[in-house]
Amino acid sequence: MSSGVIDGTAVLPERISRFPFPFPSDSYRYSTNVEPALKTVVTEAGAWGGRLLDIDEHYRHELTERDAVLTRDPTRLQVLPHMRPAVWDAISTLLPIMAAEHPDAMSFDRDGNACRWQNTLQDLDLEFTLGDDGSLPVEPLRFLGSQIQDDIALLDQREGALWLDAGLVTFAADWSFGFDVGMKFLEVHGPVPRVHQEQIITRAQQFLLRLQPGEKYRRANWTMTVDRRLDTSTETYPQWARDRATVAGDPALPDRLHLRVEVQHLIRLPHSGAVLFLVRTHLLSLSDIARVPAWRERLGRVLAELPEDMAEYKGISRYRSAASAWLLGT
Amino acid sequence: MTATALQAKVHPAVEGGLLLEVADLSVQTASVTSITFTDPAGTALPGYVPGSHLVVQYGDGANAYSLTGSGRHPSEYTISVLRVDDGAGGSLAMHRLAVGDLVRVSHPRSAFAPVATARHHLLIAAGIGITPMLSHARAAAERDSEATLVYVYRPGQGAHVQEARELLGPALAECTDRGSFQEELTRRLTDQKLGTHLYVCGPAAFMDTVLARARELGWPQGRLHSEPFGAAELDQGEPFTVNLARSGVTLEVPAGVSLLEALENAGKGVPNMCRKGVCGECYLPVLRGAPLHRDLYLSEQEKSANTTMMCCVSRSLDQELELDL
Amino acid sequence: MCPIAMAPAAGTGPEAGFRGVIRVTFGTAAVPAAEGDAGMAGHDARFDAADREALASLIAVLEQARVGVRLVLAGPPADVAAAAAAAAACGLLEEEVTLLANESGRRLVFCAHCRTANTTVQGVGSEVDCEGCATTLAFSGHFSRRIGGYLGFAAHAEEAA
Repeated sequence: MSSGVIDGTAVLPERISRFPFPFPSDSYRYSTNVEPALKTVVTEAGAWGGRLLDIDEHYRHELTERDAVLTRDPTRLQVLPHMRPAVWDAISTLLPIMAAEHPDAMSFDRDGNACRWQNTLQDLDLEFTLGDDGSLPVEPLRFLGSQIQDDIALLDQREGALWLDAGLVTFAADWSFGFDVGMKFLEVHGPVPRVHQEQIITRAQQFLLRLQPGEKYRRANWTMTVDRRLDTSTETYPQWARDRATVAGDPALPDRLHLRVEVQHLIRLPHSGAVLFLVRTHLLSLSDIARVPAWRERLGRVLAELPEDMAEYKGISRYRSAASAWLLGT
Repeated sequence: MTATALQAKVHPAVEGGLLLEVADLSVQTASVTSITFTDPAGTALPGYVPGSHLVVQYGDGANAYSLTGSGRHPSEYTISVLRVDDGAGGSLAMHRLAVGDLVRVSHPRSAFAPVATARHHLLIAAGIGITPMLSHARAAAERDSEATLVYVYRPGQGAHVQEARELLGPALAECTDRGSFQEELTRRLTDQKLGTHLYVCGPAAFMDTVLARARELGWPQGRLHSEPFGAAELDQGEPFTVNLARSGVTLEVPAGVSLLEALENAGKGVPNMCRKGVCGECYLPVLRGAPLHRDLYLSEQEKSANTTMMCCVSRSLDQELELDL
Repeated sequence: MCPIAMAPAAGTGPEAGFRGVIRVTFGTAAVPAAEGDAGMAGHDARFDAADREALASLIAVLEQARVGVRLVLAGPPADVAAAAAAAAACGLLEEEVTLLANESGRRLVFCAHCRTANTTVQGVGSEVDCEGCATTLAFSGHFSRRIGGYLGFAAHAEEAA
């Protein structure tokens, strides 16, 4: 699990050595950057990507946070009626994978529709029946979201398009799942600049439409977030918007400002045929990034070079110069 | 156990698939036999989307057959094969299989899925086209969604008729002559509640007739679904030759092997990512010859210029391509 | 899926099994001219607004109709969008519905923060004060057919003192 490298005299902590640093070069543009899942990526600080369902030191904390967000705002979880089978398909697909990837902590047994799920990280030993909502302590998608750190979105395929018809999204990066549920994949991405004339989302949709059951792909996306705030949804925007304006002048900027990387997995579910989107959010402060010299320099250059429309859409235009200057020491 | 299936080279369409054992054979009609496959180790098989097909290898060839189960947590895969005496030999090979034989099959592939939002499924089958409809009808029953089946077959030659009767009860309409079918079809097409989707499988001419009649009666394209065998996969293509101008190397690209794989096998790997023709990473400059573009990355304009190609999926229209590599 | 319909007033709906064109207008919009539906039976209905009652009677008509039917909706954007959302819930596909929304007129702006649906005659790009939480909302072009409205979010949150 730990594959830290030496930084001066100290071994880098796992939060750095396992961080999915997303920039292969000093300039970033949108692309249809999908690749087969489960391939380990070696970085300057360590490696990431060997597992589909990543569990880290924040596991319990993030699940507690998710539960609190859902209790405050139940609209972060929505399942349009025709998506019930897809939710069960996601459960019966992901739990066995999670158990196989974390055999010390978890186990999954299935006999027909009767299942037993054990998760020692939560002292959980649960028997339930696939397809029977009442056999779980909470509604099925909320249960799945209480076991994995990823946000979950389920896309239905019909009329030659993909529709965001179910999901549990508590850690949204500046969008509103509650508003977007029921939209087409292309409509969900309507506000993103550049990607339409460049046909990036259309190509991504073509790719997803052809994805066959059992196939698993992934892509990475990024933005920046002030503090370790996971819930940066449009719903709570008034609570965190001010930080975007003030952080540039805050001497604590290197500790407060985080590179936010989403590792997204794209999986065609075997029986429902729905496309499962898992969005796993990783946050790493600039101070931590600066402990890896290559990252410090590359992120500094990417932020300085990023075109203004992309910076504006990512919501980083008020502080990206300050961040870049600190990283590059200029 | 016969080992014939194993001695043959693995067909590209079943590569990375499963090796299964024939567990049961059951005669449906004089020309249709059902074949059930299980995992020799007895483990459960991957689930599948209703209406999926399985590619099964025979000798050097491979055929696609619809799976007849619902696809939920299957312990076995069942197909039904119509014997075609003057075909390419696939159906005859299937009919020669014996219990215990090992067969290479693909993972199930979905190209005829039910519409999750449908308020009613109108299934229309002719002859051996019954097979994906059984899958749909079973899945609908498991999900408590409504389905009606109109099944046309020659008297005495209806495969799976008994199963269809048990599964659908009064929701099954059987037709054994053309006239009664036309009448039944028109009646059904003019009396479906909103939100109904139509699925048809059978001989090409039969499907064309049903779809044309539905359009005539105002059914929009989005409600019409027909079984397009193999459309989900790119065909394996014709063999061709590439000249790598800068390194002076000539490579043969056989059918079923991508240009990218041929380059990698020759130690000439190029940067690549998705291997599906969408990400744009494995772009190659073309100096001479016309590529057969099969990617989703290049624009129509770029494709017609024939100066670049995506080597993970695209092939060659000409016998030979020259690349700047 | 399709919300429970109110029974239509006797004699107002088309006959059961209708497969022609249903033309619905809201407010004072002109009844749209038939386009591509020549030879199809027609049924016209007019409502002041797409309120609960109007939507219930539209749903009742659609429940009686059969596949083959086409729907044309005309009037203010908010009303057309609300009727289109009801039709989609009844199982109509996009290609079966023609939307003829007026260029201006009332639209729905949905507050992301308190979830109030605000009606406004302003257009995309303007600012709207939310009736639910008094936040000044940026009226974005992000539109949901299911909700029949546009996303609104705090317009000045990053500059507020």
